[in-house]
Amino acid sequence: MSAELAKQTQATPARRRGRIGDLLVRWSFMVPAILLLSVMLAYPIFYTIDISFSRFDISSFGAGEWVGWENYIEVMDDYRFWESLKVTMIYLVIALPLQVVLGFSIAFLINAEWAGRGLIRALFIIPMVVAPVVAGGMWRMILDPLWGILNYWLGFIGIGPLDWFGDPTLAMAAVIIIDTWRWTPFIVLIATAALLALPKDVFEAAKIDGANWWSTLWSVAVPLLVPVIAATFVIRWLGAVKMFDIVLAATYGGPGKATNVINLFIYEEAFRSLRFAESAAMAVIVLIVTMVLTGLFLYGSRKLEELF
Amino acid sequence: MSTPISSTAHRTRTSTSHRLRVMGGIAVSILFLFPIYWMVLTSFKQQVDIFTTPPKFLFIPTLETYIEYMQRADITRRLVNTIIVATGSGLLSIVVGAMAGYALARIRIRGAATFGLLILLSRGVPPIALAVPMFLVARKLGLTDKHITLILAYSTFLIPYVMWLMRSFFLSLPRELEESAMIDGCSRYGALFKIIIPISLPGLLSTLIFSMILAWEELLFALVLTNRHASTIPVAIAGIAGDTVNGANWGALTAVGTITVVPVVIFALLVQKWLITGLAEGATKG
Repeated sequence: MSAELAKQTQATPARRRGRIGDLLVRWSFMVPAILLLSVMLAYPIFYTIDISFSRFDISSFGAGEWVGWENYIEVMDDYRFWESLKVTMIYLVIALPLQVVLGFSIAFLINAEWAGRGLIRALFIIPMVVAPVVAGGMWRMILDPLWGILNYWLGFIGIGPLDWFGDPTLAMAAVIIIDTWRWTPFIVLIATAALLALPKDVFEAAKIDGANWWSTLWSVAVPLLVPVIAATFVIRWLGAVKMFDIVLAATYGGPGKATNVINLFIYEEAFRSLRFAESAAMAVIVLIVTMVLTGLFLYGSRKLEELF
Repeated sequence: MSTPISSTAHRTRTSTSHRLRVMGGIAVSILFLFPIYWMVLTSFKQQVDIFTTPPKFLFIPTLETYIEYMQRADITRRLVNTIIVATGSGLLSIVVGAMAGYALARIRIRGAATFGLLILLSRGVPPIALAVPMFLVARKLGLTDKHITLILAYSTFLIPYVMWLMRSFFLSLPRELEESAMIDGCSRYGALFKIIIPISLPGLLSTLIFSMILAWEELLFALVLTNRHASTIPVAIAGIAGDTVNGANWGALTAVGTITVVPVVIFALLVQKWLITGLAEGATKG
């Protein structure tokens, strides 16, 4: 009896040690990621916030004295900041819907069953792995007003010569064309998989009921696709707000400031003009706006999913 | 009698629309591939064949530009740097990210889901908000222009990416696999290394390749955190494209561009099957 009791009391600390050990083993899977991202992701964000409330000290090359909202007030008064936000918004409002609609339409085209379908789908991977900076440079050559092949071809149908990089509207169009060329294939690939996953019998039922092509699309296919369309939109949005490489290589924000998207503007202010405190304030504003809009889009896509 | 006729009429109509779809699909893919074709073509041209009206499709190909630019030390060194950084950050992220993804998929830890969500949210952080402090800290610690700095910087967007892709991959595996292994006396790590990793190898390898592609193409951090020794290929391309002093050097642009794109295209086509399913999973579940 007493031996039994002794055994039990002995077992408890051992078991507890085992439980703690198990807990450590469990956490050891997450710890490297948490550690790395705290140092490389969380800390930089807090440091940005710190700089944004300080006067930048050039001698120590770090955050100097606390100045409160001064940098924010200065940035808010800077018309170039607002111009740049406007340019970014124009790009986003045109490019995102264009790419989503185009992506799903192309997916519908290339999903037609024939021998070369697999090959074509594989070929659509190629543009999406071209480095964005290469895409920008490459298209700069194609759109060149003087020697570019596109203007040469447009000449045949009586258009142009278009000054793609000299005219503000055309420069924005050029940026959107390049971005659309680079990113639509990404949406095509997601959409292809989504279209293939659609249940076939629903469409057969619609056909039997005598629904025409248009009403089949709008009342059968689109509702079924809404979750994927919404998710694609959110993913594409997360990529598009980071727009930097293509603009840098193709237009460098020009002509004037016509394509100077916010990331390029902040980059220039920080690393060319060495206005780190103001750039940090702008980065914080952009970070907050992005987070809020991302939250809204996620919420919206959930709601849409429930609706359909 | 009328039914078969109407059905044949219907069939011819669908086959016409089917043919239109096929043709449209081919036309669109040609449209999307042409710019790359044009870049590769231009890279084999001599200067006199590049600036012509009409643009030349037939010419005597030359490797002149390639030889000229490969001999220039900075392109070869940048290429080596890009390989080092892409491999390093890819390997680091696949190990750290896959472990975290496994934890989120399989191991119940209190609070881990919150970290998972935070890491997912970090995909919305604009890189420029990280580039400024990273540059300042790296400068203070004397870490600018080093491979390790870029490798760590790239892990900020690669780890979340790997984590969420591998999480959905691990979730798709049957739970019994590790359970039976652990009943047989395997530790958690034993089960992971002996059972899970071997069967996840194709998924891990494809995710690794895709992470390396993302690192290979990155521009902003490379621009900010390196200047000579550790500088990468995208920085060189940005330099050539933005060189307004010497005018458009299309030969250099297309040759270096082709060097950048070709290996990536080969790797991407190797993992295309997984890439497509991975993308679809990421879109619907991520």
